[in-house]
Amino acid sequence: MSTPKHIPLIETKKLCKSYFNDDLETPVLFDIDLVIERGEFVAIMGPSGSGKSTLMHILGFLDHHTKGQFLFQGEPATKMDEDTLAKIRATRVSFVFQAFNLLPRTTVFQNVLLPLLYHPTIPAAEREGRVQRAIEAVGLSERSTYLSNQLSGGQKQRVAIARALVTQPEVIFADEPTGNLDSASGTHVMAALQALHRAGHTIILVTHEQSTAEHAERILKIYDGKITDDLRSFKRRHAKDGITIEK
Amino acid sequence: MLFSDTLHTALEGLKRNRMRSLLTTLGIIIGVGSVVLMVSIGTSFQRYILDQVETFSGDTFEVNAKGMEQVGKDINTITFGDVEAIRNLSTVKNIAPAIFVTERVQYGTKQIAPYIFGTTKELFANWSMKIGEGRLLTDADVKGAASVAVLGPQAAEDLFENQNPLGKRITIGSRKFTVVGILEEIGSPLASQLESIVYVPFTVAKAMMGRTAYVDYISLQSTGDNEMTELDITTLLRQRHNIENPDNDPDKDDFIARSFAQATEIIGTVTMSITLFLGLIASISLLVGGVGIMNIMLVSVTERTREIGLRKAVGARGRDILLQFLFEAVCLTLLGGIIGLMGGVVLGFVLVLVAAKFLGTIHYTLSLWAVVASLATSIGIGLAFGIFPARKAAQLTPIQALGYE
Repeated sequence: MSTPKHIPLIETKKLCKSYFNDDLETPVLFDIDLVIERGEFVAIMGPSGSGKSTLMHILGFLDHHTKGQFLFQGEPATKMDEDTLAKIRATRVSFVFQAFNLLPRTTVFQNVLLPLLYHPTIPAAEREGRVQRAIEAVGLSERSTYLSNQLSGGQKQRVAIARALVTQPEVIFADEPTGNLDSASGTHVMAALQALHRAGHTIILVTHEQSTAEHAERILKIYDGKITDDLRSFKRRHAKDGITIEK
Repeated sequence: MLFSDTLHTALEGLKRNRMRSLLTTLGIIIGVGSVVLMVSIGTSFQRYILDQVETFSGDTFEVNAKGMEQVGKDINTITFGDVEAIRNLSTVKNIAPAIFVTERVQYGTKQIAPYIFGTTKELFANWSMKIGEGRLLTDADVKGAASVAVLGPQAAEDLFENQNPLGKRITIGSRKFTVVGILEEIGSPLASQLESIVYVPFTVAKAMMGRTAYVDYISLQSTGDNEMTELDITTLLRQRHNIENPDNDPDKDDFIARSFAQATEIIGTVTMSITLFLGLIASISLLVGGVGIMNIMLVSVTERTREIGLRKAVGARGRDILLQFLFEAVCLTLLGGIIGLMGGVVLGFVLVLVAAKFLGTIHYTLSLWAVVASLATSIGIGLAFGIFPARKAAQLTPIQALGYE
């Protein structure tokens, strides 16, 4: 009796990405071979312009690759139509951006509610409870009626994290989540991501800072569009601020 | 995404930019307001004019010699024989011939120059004129060529001011008449000319004007089918006047036979055309308002590109974004439409109230179709001018919209 074939969460084979401007091709990623398993905390680290964000966008279904293969749970992304991609973004992945990307002049509650509006299966009656739990998890219950522009940078990023976890996605992508924050706020944010990881989420973090990348358990180094290193994080940092997230 | 969520999201988007939303709708407010105002004023006046005309029975016909309106000119196309021949038609009743007397009317030192109709009692019934005081002309007055006169209320007032005219002796030309009746007021500015008429027996007018053969005017009623009556009269008079007119060209006839219903219809058509014309001119501003909406929506899409990207990143499909922006445009135009409708109604109502001070009874009229059409047009403009910006928003890829390189 054969054992069922193991299917990784994310797998790329010879994945390439080029941008085209008229006939001019600008290659950004070259032959990326990568496997990320469920429940991993992976940091993609590299200097500015190395292609790390582009890779994250492809893995997060925000962008398309141009060559090679990208399989999500064994399913090739190239075979997915726009509606399927939107459904995956609504249910299985979520994002924390460097620039927070909160809706302006909108309350914390409404910002966190946003992904649930597009979620195809979570019933409307469950929304409020989920939003409140997500806001509570990032320690912003007292500020759920604040407008996004009334928050500090660190608080904004915690709202973004609450928004990312409200749908309980399998993978959370974080693109330079501490890039616009002071070090104390950055620690809070990393603590929140580690708590999400402990709760079972797969975390893919993009950063150019070694110290931030060290919060992950695995570091992929990328340089000029190629993966140059795939390392276990030996001296893993643990950000502490008492955040506990239950899955 | 649920329909209610899309609607809610669109409304939230508008609420976040209250002032801009309101200013954007201004074009639609003015456009719909102008259309509603113009159409309501047009229909109010149309109703008013038709109400006046409909004072007369739709069955009433009049037969004129062509050129009758040129008072004083000797017109000799409709003969006494014609009157009798028409009287014998089975589709005709209540025939009242008339001869116009061109003389001045005098009481004491007061002198007026009204229309003087030498006619019979049937004319009053045909014109729905009722006696106010005294009595109408009778068959006996006509038969005996009695020197009696019935005055229209305006003629009575002009001649007698505050005195009671009944029984008083007035002079028409060189002949003395006794006032035996004053007609009831019709109460319509359009009918004011009718109220100034002085009526004397047909036989008296005939003698005064020395007529032996011709009448100026015939009033009559149809016994039922107006078209049949018109056909009978026209055929009869063409035959009697030896007019060959197989093409039914009115220019070839030397008479005009028409029903008041026809006149009402013509007035209705003319006033409706004026109303539509005014509405059409006003609707140009609606078009301008629509372009304004499109412009602002395009600005909004550009300004909110990151928001669109974010929505797509959290799972919005192209059609969710399309619907959101389309709803925003439709909400803006519908809101503008409702405000414009209310503004147009209030302004129209006030203008009609002011007009009523000068014209007497005039009612504000706004047809349901105008309300429905203005709101439907608002929605249509929202859809038409919102679709382009909405499609532009929907077609952005998440990564383009998030502002990444």
